[in-house]
Amino acid sequence: MTAETIIQSLASGLLMGLLYGLIAVGLALIFGLMDVVNFAHGEFLMIAMYVTFFLFTFFAIDPLLAAPLAAAALFVLGAVVYLVVVRFAMRAKANVGMVQIFATFGLAIVMRGLAQLFFTADYRSVPQSWLGGKTVSIAGIFLPQPQLFGALVAIAAFGGLYLFINRTDFGRALEATREDPGAVALVGIDKNRVFALGWGLGGALVGLAGAIMASFFYIYPDVGASFALIAYVTVALGGFGSVFGAFAGGIIVGLVEATTALVLPPSLKSVGIYAVYLLVVFIRPRGLFGSM
Amino acid sequence: MTITRRDVLLGATATAALMPLAARAQTSEVVIGATYPLSGSGAQVGVDAQRAFETAVDIINNDQDFDLPLAKGLGLPGLGGAKIRIVYADTQGDPQKGRAEAERLITQEKVCAILGSYQSAVAVTISQICERYQTPFLSADNSSPSLHRRGLKYYFRASPHDEMFSAGMFDFLDAMKKKGAKADTLALFHEDTIFGTDSANAQTKLAAERGYKIVSDIKYRANSPSLSAEVQQLKAANADVLMPSSYTTDGILLIKTMAELGYKPNAIVAQAAGFSEKALYDAVGDKLEGAITRGSFSLDLAAKRPMVGKINDLFKAKSGKDLNDNTSRQFMAMIVIADAINRAKSTDGEKIRDAMAATDIPGEQTIMPWKRVKFDDMGQNNDADPVLLQYVGGKFVTIFPTQAAVADAIWPMK
Amino acid sequence: MDKSFTERRRRELLVAACLAVAAALVPLFVKNPNVQNIMILTLMFGALSQSWNILSGYCGQISLGHALYFGLGAYTTTLLFTKFGVPPWFGMLAGGVISAVIAMALGYPCFRLGGHYFAIATIVIAEIGLLLIQNWDWAGAALGIEMPVRGDSWLKFQFARSKLPYFYFALALACIAWIVTWWLEDSKWGYWWRAVKDNPDAAQSLGVVVFDSKMGAAAVSAFLVAVGGSFYAMYVSYIDPGSVMGFQFSLLMALPAVLGGIGTLWGPLLGAVILIPLTELTRSYIGGSGRGVDLIVYGTLIVVIALARPEGLIGLFSRRKETAR
Repeated sequence: MTAETIIQSLASGLLMGLLYGLIAVGLALIFGLMDVVNFAHGEFLMIAMYVTFFLFTFFAIDPLLAAPLAAAALFVLGAVVYLVVVRFAMRAKANVGMVQIFATFGLAIVMRGLAQLFFTADYRSVPQSWLGGKTVSIAGIFLPQPQLFGALVAIAAFGGLYLFINRTDFGRALEATREDPGAVALVGIDKNRVFALGWGLGGALVGLAGAIMASFFYIYPDVGASFALIAYVTVALGGFGSVFGAFAGGIIVGLVEATTALVLPPSLKSVGIYAVYLLVVFIRPRGLFGSM
Repeated sequence: MTITRRDVLLGATATAALMPLAARAQTSEVVIGATYPLSGSGAQVGVDAQRAFETAVDIINNDQDFDLPLAKGLGLPGLGGAKIRIVYADTQGDPQKGRAEAERLITQEKVCAILGSYQSAVAVTISQICERYQTPFLSADNSSPSLHRRGLKYYFRASPHDEMFSAGMFDFLDAMKKKGAKADTLALFHEDTIFGTDSANAQTKLAAERGYKIVSDIKYRANSPSLSAEVQQLKAANADVLMPSSYTTDGILLIKTMAELGYKPNAIVAQAAGFSEKALYDAVGDKLEGAITRGSFSLDLAAKRPMVGKINDLFKAKSGKDLNDNTSRQFMAMIVIADAINRAKSTDGEKIRDAMAATDIPGEQTIMPWKRVKFDDMGQNNDADPVLLQYVGGKFVTIFPTQAAVADAIWPMK
Repeated sequence: MDKSFTERRRRELLVAACLAVAAALVPLFVKNPNVQNIMILTLMFGALSQSWNILSGYCGQISLGHALYFGLGAYTTTLLFTKFGVPPWFGMLAGGVISAVIAMALGYPCFRLGGHYFAIATIVIAEIGLLLIQNWDWAGAALGIEMPVRGDSWLKFQFARSKLPYFYFALALACIAWIVTWWLEDSKWGYWWRAVKDNPDAAQSLGVVVFDSKMGAAAVSAFLVAVGGSFYAMYVSYIDPGSVMGFQFSLLMALPAVLGGIGTLWGPLLGAVILIPLTELTRSYIGGSGRGVDLIVYGTLIVVIALARPEGLIGLFSRRKETAR
């Protein structure tokens, strides 16, 4: 194994990890806001990829330009899912935890079924795009442009999210609602509105990720499944509810995945991710940056 | 007097009741089951298979001028012109569900034979059930070599299995080496489910027998979110020939990742699957100029056998796609089973089995590059030769074996 | 109070006995193999879900990785049989014991984790198990293992066409899982679990003993699920890693209990009686279209039940009882 192989693997792992972080952060945000894990998160990603694909196919809009549109579409989807399904799941008087898990899980199955019904089971992909297939090469190390761009978007999104939560009125409303939903009602904040916007925001973030993914990944109704488990592990590793945790968790997952594939047969590379997760939570039961 | 639908139905029932039993059996339809993944990750193959079967049934049930068994004339003459009806069942790619669906098809839908099933794991349980109910099972597209070696009486496979496919690929490599091409070191790249494992096992064995060196053997997790680390290792090994055994999804990601990491192999010789799917070439065809895949089928055959082109047109009208490795085998499976039922002159499982065992269809009466369809005592057709196809200028050309080839191989690939 | 409690429990036992006898008679009248298959799967998933419910419902440790124990049971039985000729009856016990031991070994570090951290830990542990078997050539790796079918035999628990032996085995398994649950409800453990649920502060003072009871629950739950896995291996007579250890199996085990009523005695069976026939019938009769309609129907139903009856469908029954009283 040459040094070049190792550096290349780590660089690829880092880029992929930032993307994992971007995929996962919406999940972390929603959980932090209201203790809900969205089991349809992978399907949100799938829908975002299809939105990007159809914008490209019918309107020749490059995935790069489609990213804000996909984010907007997923913002709407996220808010609608909250208002139509999750809002009612939260009202359950018993087993709130299980009810929300299975309500969103059922939703995931419905979304896959709908995708197959309307988009067919065919494998799609965006054949030509501004970044697709292009690569930057630095000293023999190749950095694919879509992933590079994805990494930049991920960093920007995390920075923006940080400022948004800490510096804007709505961000403060989010924080306040999360800390004491009862009290905010007294100062005239509509809890449902805040939650719906939180879901919208979570959706928009995975929408961005989906648009970037679409320029280098295949698209079909079950595509979300490959990413869903990684997203949950990423969020839990970083600590549920911590936006920064998702960022760090993504990077760790990406790097661990790449390193494991160097030392073990690649078919076992997820074992590395899982082992690191277990190790972390056995030492820190609330993840790296979760509130104790 | 107005004739209502009910009157017609009553009349039909009365006539049926008056007819002798044998005559009724002859005019009724013949029901054949097809078990495929119709939802979940293999659904695309299952849906395409439906179109392939419908194309075959249209040809059998209607009068068509093709040199195929049963094309001319209506329905199955051996059963008084009975028409074939297909009942589909969704296995979701799960062995237990495949088993339950096969049993339902046999006992409830009264199918007289079953075709299937894409995933070899599902074929294992379906063929068990068929054995128990003495109903023939014809593997249309399963390629696991172990399937026919289980001592089952009712199991048949007209198409090649992975060892035959891989032997074809190594025959080709041998021929290329003789011509002076550089093909000494191999890199195997295979997914971790039954297909990739079987394929890699066969290839490892053949490589050892024929003196090829495997410099990299990468088994990867199917539907991985990223293949960067895997491709990095392939690139470092830089073998003369890259031999992927991948389904469509992983195939697309493999080729994209190779381009991104600046890895250009000297030659790709793929074990079909994803590499014979249109979706893969739609996605990454521009990076695959000169890639070679083994196949069961080649449209080049249309030049010698015009009916292949016409049948392809019929299929394309239904599906919007050309016949490929899978759909051509599915089409042929329906023809082969219908031919056996017709010769059995019965829908009885045991009679159809005996007729299947006596099947002998010359290669010219198929749409495949096969010598003939004739089953050995394990139910395997050993006269089904694979071809090797090269992707040149946006389409496949046959390059091997010599008698089927229409062009010389371009080696190394561009 | 005490008297009515004992009375209620006696009544439950009586109802269960009547239901078991009634169920035992059904296949004598219903001969259709597909219906029998659905009944077998319903009983099997009822039993699995009941076992899952012991750890996840009563004890409150939501496991989404029970496929691990199911797979261990299936693999132990199949490997012992195909490699060493050990009859599946013994393999079943061996699989159960191995699973129980592993469940306790895993429970030791995992029970410290809360809520979602625990659930995700169970998912990844099951995935690790799946990947290890998938890469283990001796155990058949991805190719799986087929049980050679050689005619009817009670010793090998193999029957070519008859489904009755499988049916009665599944029924017995469901009865055992029910009785274990029934017994646990009134045991020391059952009281602790209720105490912890009703009053988290009690959890602190009960700390150590509750931890032991969780270990016990994990062992019992894993043992029963592994026996279910052994049964599945013999019934289907072919196993491969994806079909017995996949994540979807963990969900399928949890779903009946959640829909029927998590942490209740009757919930898992009720959930299985509704869910399994529905799953099978939607796939058989709508799935053939290849357009995903079966998924839409199935998924919608889960959402609707989860939202409309958060306490589970069992709530429909208990509410009526309460008003009657």
